[in-house]
Amino acid sequence: MRRQLAWLGVLACALGFTPTRAMAQAADSLLVTGVRAYKNLDFDLAALLLRRRAAQLTAANAPVAARAEGLVYLGAAELFRGRRDSAIAVFRRLVMLDPRYRPDRLVFPPEVTSVFEGVRLRTKTVAIVVPRDTEIPIQEGAFRGWLVASSFQTVSVTLLYENGTSFRPLYFGPIGDSLEVQWDGRDAAGQPVIVDRLLLRVASRAPTGELASLLQLPLDLQISRPDTAPWPAPLADSELRPERAAGGAATRALLGGLLLSAAVVSLPVAVGSHDTPSGPRVAVASAVGVATALGYLLHRPSRSLPENIRANDAVRDAWRRRVAAVQAENGRRRTDVRLRVHAGDPAAIEAAGP
Amino acid sequence: MRIGWLLSLAVAVGAGRLPGQRFHTAAAASVVTARVRTEQLGGAAQFSGAAFGAGGTLSLGRFQVGLTYLQGRLDPDTGSARARDLVEGAVLLGVRPVEWLTLSCGPHARAYAASGQTQRWLFWEVRVRAAKPFIGSAVRGYAELWRAVAADANVPEPFDHAQGGEAGMIIRLARAPLEGRIGYRIDHAVLGGGTRLETVDGVVIGVGLAWR
Repeated sequence: MRRQLAWLGVLACALGFTPTRAMAQAADSLLVTGVRAYKNLDFDLAALLLRRRAAQLTAANAPVAARAEGLVYLGAAELFRGRRDSAIAVFRRLVMLDPRYRPDRLVFPPEVTSVFEGVRLRTKTVAIVVPRDTEIPIQEGAFRGWLVASSFQTVSVTLLYENGTSFRPLYFGPIGDSLEVQWDGRDAAGQPVIVDRLLLRVASRAPTGELASLLQLPLDLQISRPDTAPWPAPLADSELRPERAAGGAATRALLGGLLLSAAVVSLPVAVGSHDTPSGPRVAVASAVGVATALGYLLHRPSRSLPENIRANDAVRDAWRRRVAAVQAENGRRRTDVRLRVHAGDPAAIEAAGP
Repeated sequence: MRIGWLLSLAVAVGAGRLPGQRFHTAAAASVVTARVRTEQLGGAAQFSGAAFGAGGTLSLGRFQVGLTYLQGRLDPDTGSARARDLVEGAVLLGVRPVEWLTLSCGPHARAYAASGQTQRWLFWEVRVRAAKPFIGSAVRGYAELWRAVAADANVPEPFDHAQGGEAGMIIRLARAPLEGRIGYRIDHAVLGGGTRLETVDGVVIGVGLAWR
């Protein structure tokens, strides 16, 4: 039993061991050790360990939250080591990473938080907060993004083609804490976008007008046009009744009447009686003949059939209504063009680091 | 004997699929301008007059039974013979192997009564009747032929053969059960090797009710 558990443990370790996982575990270990050294006032060791950890996380492109915790301890350690410039550089890097970050005042003393605040106020950068995937109707929708500023600054928000030329400016002006920018999916001339990729670039400027930072977010675009509904099939002949009488009924009346008259007239001969007056037979045959003539007139070929014409008109009206409904639906669908926006990862074009 | 065979044949023909199991009834009244001509030993006597009749049929599926009764007075057209009464009746059992064709058989009795003497005729008949609409569904033409397979008459001459028929049309208006009928009918009997010929013919005009 114990041997089986040991093998299971080895198997679990083998399955769970990956380079990335090992690097994260090592970084966590560095953080714990570095923070312990910081709390033991061994700032040199703390700075060494935390800088190494920052380098590992940067190389691994770790999430901002994971990198920020180590950087604030690193900045504090550098500050207490008397390397204020290094501390300022670390804090600036932290602000660039996450303009919304604030050190915990219960953990760090005012010396640290005041230096951080000073750096934050001088650093002009923004964070772009957008949903990963957005779908907007071209007619009336808008793609929305939030800019969160590190401090009061002037920003210009521009959509660029991939080659860097301007597609459409979205905003130029001051930003205090945050700002919502909108884009209606059209270019500067009001036409729907026809390219499948744009860059959302935010340029932060210092009060002097000097460019402080550039942040760029790739946007993958896809125009979605719904298919139009197919038109109803044309009316088949089998769906319509004949509007003119065929000759079958008239012919049947004529032939049937002639046959019946002949049968009446020749009945005495058929039964073997040869001396029978013809008056009664002729009277009956004449009655049959009159009925036959009336029947032929009533069922004469090519006469119009009003009942069938009315029925066919109803069928045609129903078909026209179906066509009109499809036309209206297709008109609605043609205007229902949607723009799908997939946002990539933001990247700093020009950022200073420690 | 032959009638038994014919009845067996009718039952066999009708024993197949029965398309409808509901009873259908029809009743009709008619007037017949009857003419009776008797040729015997080179002489001929002819009587004519109007007769009134009634009849009805009851159908179940392909089978049907029909009753007819006719009565009238015939006056002599020539000579000094006395007028006589005509009474006629028939009971026919029938089967329809197809929609438009009816085979039937049964007794057909006829009597002439004059001054206390009655001449009776009894025919055992086999009938074939065809009927089919020929002007839309409103006018149906029909033709019927019958032949006596046996007969009995209280006349001196022995019975030789007899046959007859009827043809005409039935007009049915719209969807009402009311029908009108006009036709021509004739019976011809030969007795004594042709020494006596009996012919009855006339125009039949009738109205009827048929529930389908």
